[in-house]
Amino acid sequence: MEQQLTVWAFYTFSALAVLSAFGVVFFKNIIYAVLSLISTLIMVSGLFFAMGAELIGGLQILIYAVAIVVFYVLVISTVPEFKGNSVDPAYMLVSLPIGFILFLELAYVSIYGAWQSNVGLFTNEVIKEVGNIKAVSTLLFTKYLFPFEVASLILLVAMIGAIVIGRKSHVIDEEEAK
Amino acid sequence: MELLGVIVGISLKALIFIIGMFLGAAYLTWIERKFAGHIQQRPGPLHVGYHGLLQPIADALKVLTKEDLVPDGVDKFLFYLASLMAFVPAIMILAVVPFGEPFNIFGLEIKPYITDLNIALILALAFGSISIYGVIFAGWASNSKYPMIGGLRKAAVLIGYEVALGFAMVGPIMQAGSFSLKEIVEAQSSYWFIIPNILGFVVILFAILAETGRTPFDVQEAEAELVSGYNTEYTAMKFGLFPLAEWYIATFVLSAIAVILFFGGWQPFPLLGWLPIPGIVWFFIKVFALFMFFLWVHWTLPRYRVDQITELAWKVMLPLALANIFIVALWVIIVG
Repeated sequence: MEQQLTVWAFYTFSALAVLSAFGVVFFKNIIYAVLSLISTLIMVSGLFFAMGAELIGGLQILIYAVAIVVFYVLVISTVPEFKGNSVDPAYMLVSLPIGFILFLELAYVSIYGAWQSNVGLFTNEVIKEVGNIKAVSTLLFTKYLFPFEVASLILLVAMIGAIVIGRKSHVIDEEEAK
Repeated sequence: MELLGVIVGISLKALIFIIGMFLGAAYLTWIERKFAGHIQQRPGPLHVGYHGLLQPIADALKVLTKEDLVPDGVDKFLFYLASLMAFVPAIMILAVVPFGEPFNIFGLEIKPYITDLNIALILALAFGSISIYGVIFAGWASNSKYPMIGGLRKAAVLIGYEVALGFAMVGPIMQAGSFSLKEIVEAQSSYWFIIPNILGFVVILFAILAETGRTPFDVQEAEAELVSGYNTEYTAMKFGLFPLAEWYIATFVLSAIAVILFFGGWQPFPLLGWLPIPGIVWFFIKVFALFMFFLWVHWTLPRYRVDQITELAWKVMLPLALANIFIVALWVIIVG
């Protein structure tokens, strides 16, 4: 019965996630597109909860649905109204193959994952014993410490780059003005 | 069958929590108005019932039966959705807040919390921050200048304080070694986590004031500049949900979380453990004390300017929160 409930939850969340993902693509009104994006991300977090990965589910809401999308909303509502000009159809020649390759890659990963799941140190039993948080942090700070630090360095570089690009060229120096 | 029992039990408990919070929030408005009145040397609500005790009920009836105006130019769907988006996540935080230890009535074990997830704190933070979409979308959907500016100000304030809030919560988590609010309380049986975490507590005080939009940080409604800010175009109960969610429910629930993190939750005051007071009463005493502190700040201080608020968030609160992590790390190494 409990298994059944999880299965229902899984299908409900996936159906809603796919529906809202369609909304992101097809809504003409950009605010509605962002709203569907928020909905998609929350539904994906629900999927994580249904599959017993509560840590990722919680972080999904906190980081993706709030911290990142808030910036989208901020930019969309400050920038003057977006005029939805249709893009030159010639770009389709580039975007279609790239989209297809992305699809193949995702399909490969999903199918590969279906056979490869639950190998390694942290099997379902171990995770039940120590909890998600300890499992994730143990791996993050031992085996994946170097990639983790490199990722943070890349983010730092990106941040500095964004600040340099976004800086106004005519900043008035407050000290000088006095 | 057992599962059905669990579901019915949880639904019943959730209903009790929600209705309790609604009625509680109604009376929190009475407390706030009385308190504000006495701070400003006037009596506050006085005539409806004894010292205005029936005022919240009269106000609720008034708000519910008022004409519900929807201006012409608004985006109707978002306009309705926004007030719910501000309100629902605020009340959802209640799902992870424990009010006490399990106790027995007539041989039935009753747990005064809905769930005890081991990531309760992350979820509380997530629900707390997701309610800002209510404010932003309310500003956008109103299709009017002042609400728009109000919504954007709220977003700018929240982005800054959310980061500081998250970092400030790390201290108690490090000491307890768990994200579960229940385990954090249990870890404080010998001393409260306020001792090494004093900087973190200061940051959390500022962050709660900013997150709930109480006065030194209420730039999103700033009456003198923005008419009434993001809720200018709202009327009746759609308007009522915003202050109910932000000023009362969110403040109360975040106070509860601050008490759990820093003041030992339902543990009794030091040296007063011999008093025959149940833990849940201790918990509410502490939460009310903190809530009254926020009211006190709200009704005495003037408002910051919006650039000062974000400056404070990034240049003062974030470094303080990081310093707190450093101090607590040293404390954990030395004291254990």
